[in-house]
Amino acid sequence: MKTLNRRDFLRTSGAAAVLAATPGLSYSQMVGSAGPFDDYRALVCVFMFGGNDSFNMLVPNTSAEYNAYATSRQNLAIQQNDLLPITPASAGTPDFGLHPTLGGIQGLFNSGDAAFVTNVGPLVEPTTKDQYFNGSVTLPPQLFSHNDQQDQWTSLRGNVSSKTGWAGRMADLIRSGVTEQQMATNASLFGANLFQSADDTVAYVMGPGGPLQFEGFSTDPNNILFQQRAAFRRVVDAQHGTVYERGFADVQRRAIDAADTVTGAINSAPPITAVFPQSQLGTQLRTVARLIAVREQLQMKRQIFFVAAGGFDSHDSQNQDQPGLLGGISDAISAFQAATVELGEASSVTTFTQSDFGRTLTSNGDGTDHAWGGNQLVVGGAVNGRELYGNFPLLAINGPEDVGGGRMIPSTSADQYAATLAKWFGIADGELDIVAPNLGNFAQRDLGFMIA
Amino acid sequence: MLGLAGCGGGGGGPTPPPPPPPPAPVTKTEAFQFLNQGSFGATEAEAQSVIALRQDEWIDRQLQEPPSLQLPHLQALPPPQFQFQLHADRVDIWYRNSLHGEDQLRQRVAFALSEIMVVSQLGALGNLPFAVADYYDVLAENAFGNYRDLLEEVTLHPAMGVYLSMLGNEKPDPVLNIRPDENYAREIMQLFSIGLVELNLDGSQKLDAQGQAIPTYDQEIIEGFAHVYTGWTFAGAPSFRQARPNQSNQVLPMQLYPGFHDTGSKKLLGGVELAAGQSGEQDLRDALDNIFNHPNVGPFIAIRLIQRLVTSNPSPGYVRRVAEVFNNNGAGVRGDLGAVVKTILLDPEAHSSMPMEIDGKLKEPLLRLTQLWKAYNATSSSGRFPLNASYILFGQGPLQSPSVFNFFSPFFAPPGEIRDSSLVAPELEIATEYQNTLFTNYMFYQVFALNQTNDTLEEDDVYINFEEEMAIAGNIDALIDMVANKLLAGEMSSTLRQEITGMLERIPETDTAVRAAETIYFVVTSPEYAYQR
Repeated sequence: MKTLNRRDFLRTSGAAAVLAATPGLSYSQMVGSAGPFDDYRALVCVFMFGGNDSFNMLVPNTSAEYNAYATSRQNLAIQQNDLLPITPASAGTPDFGLHPTLGGIQGLFNSGDAAFVTNVGPLVEPTTKDQYFNGSVTLPPQLFSHNDQQDQWTSLRGNVSSKTGWAGRMADLIRSGVTEQQMATNASLFGANLFQSADDTVAYVMGPGGPLQFEGFSTDPNNILFQQRAAFRRVVDAQHGTVYERGFADVQRRAIDAADTVTGAINSAPPITAVFPQSQLGTQLRTVARLIAVREQLQMKRQIFFVAAGGFDSHDSQNQDQPGLLGGISDAISAFQAATVELGEASSVTTFTQSDFGRTLTSNGDGTDHAWGGNQLVVGGAVNGRELYGNFPLLAINGPEDVGGGRMIPSTSADQYAATLAKWFGIADGELDIVAPNLGNFAQRDLGFMIA
Repeated sequence: MLGLAGCGGGGGGPTPPPPPPPPAPVTKTEAFQFLNQGSFGATEAEAQSVIALRQDEWIDRQLQEPPSLQLPHLQALPPPQFQFQLHADRVDIWYRNSLHGEDQLRQRVAFALSEIMVVSQLGALGNLPFAVADYYDVLAENAFGNYRDLLEEVTLHPAMGVYLSMLGNEKPDPVLNIRPDENYAREIMQLFSIGLVELNLDGSQKLDAQGQAIPTYDQEIIEGFAHVYTGWTFAGAPSFRQARPNQSNQVLPMQLYPGFHDTGSKKLLGGVELAAGQSGEQDLRDALDNIFNHPNVGPFIAIRLIQRLVTSNPSPGYVRRVAEVFNNNGAGVRGDLGAVVKTILLDPEAHSSMPMEIDGKLKEPLLRLTQLWKAYNATSSSGRFPLNASYILFGQGPLQSPSVFNFFSPFFAPPGEIRDSSLVAPELEIATEYQNTLFTNYMFYQVFALNQTNDTLEEDDVYINFEEEMAIAGNIDALIDMVANKLLAGEMSSTLRQEITGMLERIPETDTAVRAAETIYFVVTSPEYAYQR
């Protein structure tokens, strides 16, 4: 199977000579032609930490397929008459149902603002069950491990360990087109992450409610705290000592620089009437909405936000915990979508989910274990909504996609999912292989869920 | 010298070797460095103790100190309205023990272990504070014991049983497509003992003929262990499925209910297969022996403990020296954690007089806080340290991790020169712009508001005392020297000294409290204070 690695790509794009002459030069210094941009676009990644049991989020609602699901899931199956029915727009597509707590998502699906990408996950190349067992394909390593599969989802480096994530690489690729931006392209409201890690740009990490200001600093030159800020800044700038001290100082420097600009802007954000749930995710998405509201003040053209919710590792008490987990996602995303409509930016903002992995179809008694492929949700005005993308597997134990216990081999790769979003974001087709390095191994470069 | 003498240079009779030269006195810098590795922060008084005893004697005495415990403190309190409220008391006693326990080294190693074998109050243990406190006590009690015993106590502890869902895990029911829970099976190996790939003794990855890392286990082995860990729940329950936690059973080892244990054969590591029909207890002992004897455990635990105590990027030689002691403490015993800790702290790489710029590590936020608090006698008028929100304020708190993956990853490498040099800096994962600003603001508040000069303190406000600084605050150089002595072993960069001097010159000489606070604030927020050399 042919794989297009970075070196191959640079050769095909005529950059190999530059690479050879300047070892260590990173890709974004040679390629990355996007921008300047005359419109605004934002991607919002909602990461469900722990591995969302997404085969209870989206359930087949046709008799034979539902029965296969119910037989596999036993005590963890959602009753068929509890499902919230959805009917995809395309003729001939079977009916599905949503978890009963996903009322908000059902509404967005029916209005054409939401779609599902089904049985998607990290792959190096297309993989069948026979190939999985006879070892004739390259697999992502450490399948079914939390942090490894999180890294594979967010880095898309397949079987290679990676120091950059696909959002980070997008930010690097467009950086020459967004030099006016007052804030980093990548912003996280849930801590440092590999997804936004890059070679040449640095993600800005703020709190769930936005950035904080430094208590001991003032911008009034007559205040001693103005001098204090300047002195503090000079200490941070001194590049004293070891790699650890400099790494720490880098963070302090970015924090000082961003605190005034971003807090100043967000404090001037107009009130948003959409009502967000009082949850960690609701708070984060409300902050994202407020930042989008002040995008012009911050001269933002392209933004990637990282927000997250935890607790999805449902080994235990799944029937008790899942309604709150999925309902929390539905309520927060629905409120956020309403806020983007209110801001007049519904078509400029696309929200999408990622998670460690799907979970086993079989039960461990009262929960599920780590698996592989799963379903993901995409929401926004630019989404070709009311559709399912990718093949939905037969949810039968020992079915054609099951490698054991109801662990589904993904039928669509996370690279294809990411590339479809990246293309909408403004990454040129020839550069999608940098964002999604194994994309060349898959026939379909664009899954079609975004309006071109 | 000895080598030459051994050649037998002639003459009559063996020449006694000359007595070794007396070791150079321990310097204050060395004592501070050592105490920041082996305690919750160096103080001048403790540095004098290390200078007098020397490091190895200090360690030997610490190895004998009995553990300061948490559970008795919780048990002595009046019952709260809601169980979860006792977590605040658990965090309180953690601060008290960490700041004032005579068993500083034991507590520091227990803290390190609590970041390797993680359970957390955030989640299913929210209503089981006694279990969480007792779990920490188990770590403290076994900090210098044998790793095999620790592994068994951790495995059978109901806190771990609840957290990683081994508690209540049943044998398979093929009719209902129910198979054993794989949670504990996976994480005990990935995170507590051997890791994902095979290691050489020096911690480097073993590679196969194609240059690829070699996985330590596959799904079949995970399933084998998952079947081992079936049949255990709270002790003394009326029946397996009716087991519910109460104040006593949440601190007792889990009990086997044989009817719920899988009795089939089980595939383990290294081609070992447990025979069918063994008892659940026997299966567990054999399985933990199987993990314990995997050659990865020595280098794996060596790297994890060195990273928590001494440096983010130990050399292969350092890892090998520690792993060799794990494998054999010199008396033929494998897994002697006391010997491992002593080897880690006495290794030349832990106290190089000429540190390379990759030596050392960042102090995690709690250690930056405890060092300040110890140096400035932090207390509250109630005697309490009510910081149950530590995980929010500082991005971490005792047994308050967001997941079993700890607050930060041992592999975290921030973009820039650290990543470009293939180094790691785990603590930097939670030193984000947000968390650093929160911490900087907390320090501002701590130093300027929560100090002994404030007569409006609430009884639970933890305040510091800088009376000594105020007494000499008229002399800027002397004031800076005093703070540098207490927090930086007397060594301060010229930039930091210059900037503090500039600020102090703006503050009237008579504002002694402001001058003292300003000096401390600049030091405890500086990159050089955040660094543990």
